[in-house]
Amino acid sequence: MEHLVYPTKGLSEEAFAQHQVLFETWQVKAEYAWDTGVAIGKYLDGLKNGRLIGRRCFKCRRVLVPPRMFCESCFRPTDEWVDVQDSGVVKTFSLCYVRWDMTRLKEPEIPAVIDLDGASRGMGIMHKLGEVDPKAVKVGMKVKAVWKPAEQREGSITDIAYFKPI
Amino acid sequence: MSLLNNLEHPTEARVWRGNLPVYHRYTAGVAGEKFLRALKEEGKLYGTRCPKCGYVYVPARLYCERDAAHLDEAAWVPVGPQGELLSFSAVYVDLDGKRLESPQWVGLVRFDGASGVTMHYLGEVKPDTLQVGMQVQVVLRPARERVGSIRDIAYFKPV
Repeated sequence: MEHLVYPTKGLSEEAFAQHQVLFETWQVKAEYAWDTGVAIGKYLDGLKNGRLIGRRCFKCRRVLVPPRMFCESCFRPTDEWVDVQDSGVVKTFSLCYVRWDMTRLKEPEIPAVIDLDGASRGMGIMHKLGEVDPKAVKVGMKVKAVWKPAEQREGSITDIAYFKPI
Repeated sequence: MSLLNNLEHPTEARVWRGNLPVYHRYTAGVAGEKFLRALKEEGKLYGTRCPKCGYVYVPARLYCERDAAHLDEAAWVPVGPQGELLSFSAVYVDLDGKRLESPQWVGLVRFDGASGVTMHYLGEVKPDTLQVGMQVQVVLRPARERVGSIRDIAYFKPV
């Protein structure tokens, strides 16, 4: 079979700036509003007040964090609100030397999955670690939330600035 | 008990607002670039003929999607400027759904010498005289207004 390799040339920002090629641009207006629902709404409200809220299913006894109104395991509505601790254990982590926009970082960001105390295992939430030597981070490490000052909280998962080792 | 009963404080219902910064830049590709340059600079239309199956692509393409044959320099053939009107329609609303003062006519045209069809505006039309199968001719924008876009074709008019 004929080997199909077509002659192509890479395009640089310069090529576009100098209009070496024809191109069209447009920007999509992609604004959205996401209804947080009952459970996540309450969760975000809790974060604003410095609390982490979960939801318990009476059948499987699990505490779901973030909370949901439906137990995907038992296929039934969940039953009660529960406060969980703002401390936990590092389940897994990564040292990221590039930002989301691909710029290089000298000091790594450390995203981690943290199993919160009081929540069922496997309910880890994704967050960042801080105040820690990247080389010292270990799976199983005990960590605690560092909250933003109350007046800076806005009802977002980023109301917790990061988790630090204890 | 329904899930709704759990909503004890409806004012707690929250909405999360966001905005996705989506920015597109589209290039026409190797064959598309050459096609549009010819349209802009020479005011001429080209297709590419597949040496294996004979299908003539308009706008010109770099490869045949039927048998993956490379459509190189030798495949370029002039098409048009006339063609056959294969289908047409009157459009009464704009992209935002607003009613137009007068309808915009659009048509599918197969350029003489081409296999595929091109969708574009129809102009200088008397609606009653439009017919499937009639000959139409391409009307280009003046050379100084052309920018290397399919819109350098202003519209098709009945011959």
